[in-house]
Amino acid sequence: MILTVGFIVNPIAGMGGRVGLKGTDNVVEEAKRKGAKPVSPFKAREAIKEYVEKYNDDIRWVTCSGIMGENILRENGIKSVEVIYNVTSRDTSAKDTKNACKLFVEYPVDLIVFCGGDGTARDITSIVGTRIPILGIPSGVKMHSGVFAINPRIAARVIHEFANHKLTVGDVEIMDLDEEKYRQGEWNIKLFGIAKGIVEPIYVQVGKMSFESIPEDDIKDELAEYIEDEMKDNPEYVYFFGSGSTIDYIARKLGLSNTLLGIDAVYRGKTIAQDLDEKGILDILDRYPKAKLILSPIGAQGFILGRGNLQISPKVIRKIGIDNIIVVATPSKLAATPLIRIDTGDKEIDKLFAMKEQMLVIIGYRLMRVVKIQTNNI
Amino acid sequence: MREMTEFLGREYEEMEKQGLTWVIKSLNGPSQPHVEVEGKKCIMLASNNYLNLANHPKLREAAIKAIEKYGAGAGSDWSIAGTMDIHMELYKKIAEFKGTEDAVTFQTGFAANAGLIPQLAGKGDLLISDELNHGSIIDGVRLSKAERAVYPHSDMGALEKVLEEANKKDYRRVIILTDGVFSMDGDIAKMDEIHKLAEEYRAMIYVDDAHGEGVLGDGHGIGRHFDLEKEIHFQIGTFSKAFGSFGGMLAGSSDLIKFAYNKSRTWLLSAAFPPHVAAANIAALEVVEKEKDRVKRLWDNTKYFKKEIESLGYDTGNSQTPIVPTIVGDSKKAKQLAEKLYEEGIFALAIVYPMVARDKARIRNQMNADFNREDLDTILNVYEKLGKELKIV
Ligand SMILES: Cc1ncc(COP(=O)(O)O)c(C=O)c1O
Repeated sequence: MILTVGFIVNPIAGMGGRVGLKGTDNVVEEAKRKGAKPVSPFKAREAIKEYVEKYNDDIRWVTCSGIMGENILRENGIKSVEVIYNVTSRDTSAKDTKNACKLFVEYPVDLIVFCGGDGTARDITSIVGTRIPILGIPSGVKMHSGVFAINPRIAARVIHEFANHKLTVGDVEIMDLDEEKYRQGEWNIKLFGIAKGIVEPIYVQVGKMSFESIPEDDIKDELAEYIEDEMKDNPEYVYFFGSGSTIDYIARKLGLSNTLLGIDAVYRGKTIAQDLDEKGILDILDRYPKAKLILSPIGAQGFILGRGNLQISPKVIRKIGIDNIIVVATPSKLAATPLIRIDTGDKEIDKLFAMKEQMLVIIGYRLMRVVKIQTNNI
Repeated sequence: MREMTEFLGREYEEMEKQGLTWVIKSLNGPSQPHVEVEGKKCIMLASNNYLNLANHPKLREAAIKAIEKYGAGAGSDWSIAGTMDIHMELYKKIAEFKGTEDAVTFQTGFAANAGLIPQLAGKGDLLISDELNHGSIIDGVRLSKAERAVYPHSDMGALEKVLEEANKKDYRRVIILTDGVFSMDGDIAKMDEIHKLAEEYRAMIYVDDAHGEGVLGDGHGIGRHFDLEKEIHFQIGTFSKAFGSFGGMLAGSSDLIKFAYNKSRTWLLSAAFPPHVAAANIAALEVVEKEKDRVKRLWDNTKYFKKEIESLGYDTGNSQTPIVPTIVGDSKKAKQLAEKLYEEGIFALAIVYPMVARDKARIRNQMNADFNREDLDTILNVYEKLGKELKIV
């Protein structure tokens, strides 16, 4: 079966960076006035050129007219291009991305390859959800989401390997910085939602030299089983479930109602509070002094603290105690980021983690792995 | 609808698409330095027969004599009526050879790991395993109800981290499990450091020395190599590699062996290996002890080959033993090289992703005590030619 790829370029992504605007959302005009030059067409071109020169599998490309995709495919000599969305204005916007994605879903394409940053990933996810896997050619100012290839050339290789069944589809988080706040000097990366990204398959050894890939959900089931045992063995503890796709899966598997983006509290197998803010967590800690916190790396860089979960403040972490943090991760997540990153905004706490150097991460049923810790403040 | 056997073909096809299937090439005669593979004469670079004992006259003779005396089969499980005096003789011989109180054999090394590990640790215990340990250790560990922690390959800092964390919980027992020699890279476990950490944190040590026996410590294995024969609590091995024969073994204290007799399911519920296998195994240990020169020749060949292949520009990674990989980059290149080597009459194995990292695909070259200089130079010349042709060096 020939792979159908929906290709979309956000021509203005990445423009804000060079002129110090930290993103291009809502400030395109200002960026242009300051002399910002388009970045993403170059990145997209680099990826497609590499793809055509090195791999050029039999792929059907479906795209948007002109600068939003068509031009770059055609100038690299790709014949099988179908334009399904016409860009009407010279100034493209998020609306164009979203409308094109609606058509990609209808078509339907097997994979969406886009060139842009976190904002573009967010726009695409808001339409396609987890229905179609997404691959980002990095070009934005911020790329915290788990859908991006490391660079345009690697993006080309990922398309090729996906087309040839060497890579598979798995859950990744879409992250976004609150740009308004950021331009005012406040750093708040939020978890926007879950998308399907392209991930390394999880292999288990069958023979000495033969392997079989197993579904990511099997591993998540094991993690859930482990957490279930853990809670049963420690009935006096309240468990805070962190955010992100892995923990959301675990919670649902255990029959708990859970908020994907938020922090929930579970006591004796029942959810006792949902979507807690810092104060909510502290209140619960007053009532239940023994607590554990279950976290999983969120987004592209392997952060467990400091991205997408600012509710877990330094004060909260101190109260719970860093030895009561349980980190779970699937092997595909660890393949993407073999480090656990921490940036709590509190030098002392970061230092406690830094001194640990490595931590045990739960990667299966009763199965742990030593993983290096990286903190930002040291 | 519930599915029937269609899944067999479907799953095979999926694996084939991903390039993960395995093609068997059969030998037309004995395994030795020069072999015939599917009708083609080759130099053998892919066998574990390091000391060239697989077709050694002493082993053959011993096996034939045993067949004449005991017949072809043992007739039963070891535990019931399958243990013959020749098996008992072998146990004694192994214990002597390994410098331990006692020993016992298993059908294979795999069976030893799969049958013993789950009995050594259960709920409330911790098994700590190197990430590159052999699949049979991994399976043994999986069968146990203990918690399991994996550390990055030979990373002693990480191992200590696990032991430190383990001290915060009250595990009943903690066991560190490792290969003696790692079969993809040919590096040696840091047994001295593992031993120190084990002492400091009160953990036990379990070593599978499949690729170290016949190779390290004058052929006696990793225990002798590090002078830790009595300190390693559980010593697993196999006769299927340097010893040129077949069958797994366990050496250690007499308590351990009595425990294994009564608890290991693979030992209790499966037949004893045939008497002639026991006879060949005894002969193998005798040959290693008597023909001291054999181990020395293996190392001489290893040193020569390693030095020369490196001077051609090949990367041999962390090799410290007769397993000398040539790391060539991506999987496609390694497969290509293996095919070309075969065309040139060299039988070698490509080790590719996901067995090793994507950019660390390699040929695993395994040395033999009975390669002569001419063999090694033939191999090196072919490597030189192909390295240039494939732009590896
Ligand atoms: C470390 C290790 N253990 C066990 C085995 C299996 O030994 P056997 O062939 O006796 O089952 C091997 C061989 O592949 C090995 O390398």
